Amino acid sequence: MLPHDDESSPRRDAGEHPGPTSLAWALLRIGTVAFGGLGATLALLHRDLVERRGWLRAGDVAEALAYTKPLPGSTVVQVVTFLGWRLGGWPGAIIATTAFLIPAFAIMTISAAAVLALPDAPVVRNALTGLQVGVVGVLAAAMWRLARSEAASRPLIAVLIAAFATGLFVNAALVVGVAGVIGIVIDRVHRNA
Amino acid sequence: MLELFARFLVIGTLAFGGGQAVLPLVERLAVADTGWLTPAQFAAGVGLSYATPGPVLILAAFIGYHVAAVPGALVATLAVFSVPIACAGFAAQVVDKLRDAEWPQAFGQYAAAAAIGLLGVTLIALARPVVEAHPMLLLGAAAVFAAALRGLHPIMLLVAATLIGAVSSMLDLA
Repeated sequence: MLPHDDESSPRRDAGEHPGPTSLAWALLRIGTVAFGGLGATLALLHRDLVERRGWLRAGDVAEALAYTKPLPGSTVVQVVTFLGWRLGGWPGAIIATTAFLIPAFAIMTISAAAVLALPDAPVVRNALTGLQVGVVGVLAAAMWRLARSEAASRPLIAVLIAAFATGLFVNAALVVGVAGVIGIVIDRVHRNA
Repeated sequence: MLELFARFLVIGTLAFGGGQAVLPLVERLAVADTGWLTPAQFAAGVGLSYATPGPVLILAAFIGYHVAAVPGALVATLAVFSVPIACAGFAAQVVDKLRDAEWPQAFGQYAAAAAIGLLGVTLIALARPVVEAHPMLLLGAAAVFAAALRGLHPIMLLVAATLIGAVSSMLDLA
């Protein structure tokens, strides 16, 4: 038996899938406020798509992270693509990712011209340090929440801690892959016991 | 333009471990190899890519703009994200196909736990410059952590932290 089999219901009902417009709108909004990198964005996606709209389960976000982390590329974007696919296949993936990237692209392009005028003032530097402080706290909270909901059994907690420890020295893709294989082995052993 | 596309396509494809992992590569490409940006311009771009919403690699739009204005920004952005997006879409498709089998569920559960643990490594990388700036700042991060767990919106917390940083420097100047 898996530690929490009740969570592993396969495909959800079609009725829960959002239409393309509401999907684009939701991701556009998230993309506008997705400051602070992967950790903060995971928290935002969870808050909006899982808690607020109920389109996805917490497990979907954790799975998206698990499967895209080993792949090359910006993990934030890939988590959005993965979740978009789950919500509406390839069109959903493209719509979600495009909507998510539009605000960042617009802001970055506009500020590309303006930024060179930005002085290297202490105000700017300290504001950025403040932002970093906030990001550390928010990411820690996102990690805590995901750990509480997704690593609910002792073997999973052990894997989580071991992944953290080995991740300091070993390639992230390898760590995730090995953990998955360990999961398959443990599952087999439990079944045969 | 073709060079811009090709180079950012390679960057996106090599970005194992997320966008931040390839920042050194992007720097070599944009500053040392091509001279598209001066080191100071690049530093400003990195700061902005952290300060703006979305992925860090949106830095590609910044660099692309400096090479060929808006079309350059568009080309660089498309190039840097196209391969990762295709990978993630296919991953979602494969995972969905395997959903009814039992082993992928076991794999997914343990892989997810490992991915969450790996967030801790990212956390340490992000906390290092904060501690270097001032160890006491970790108390601020702890306060944000506690507030976030109590349900305060992450954006509110990030804005507050940024403002406190800005205000602190004004106090120093006064």
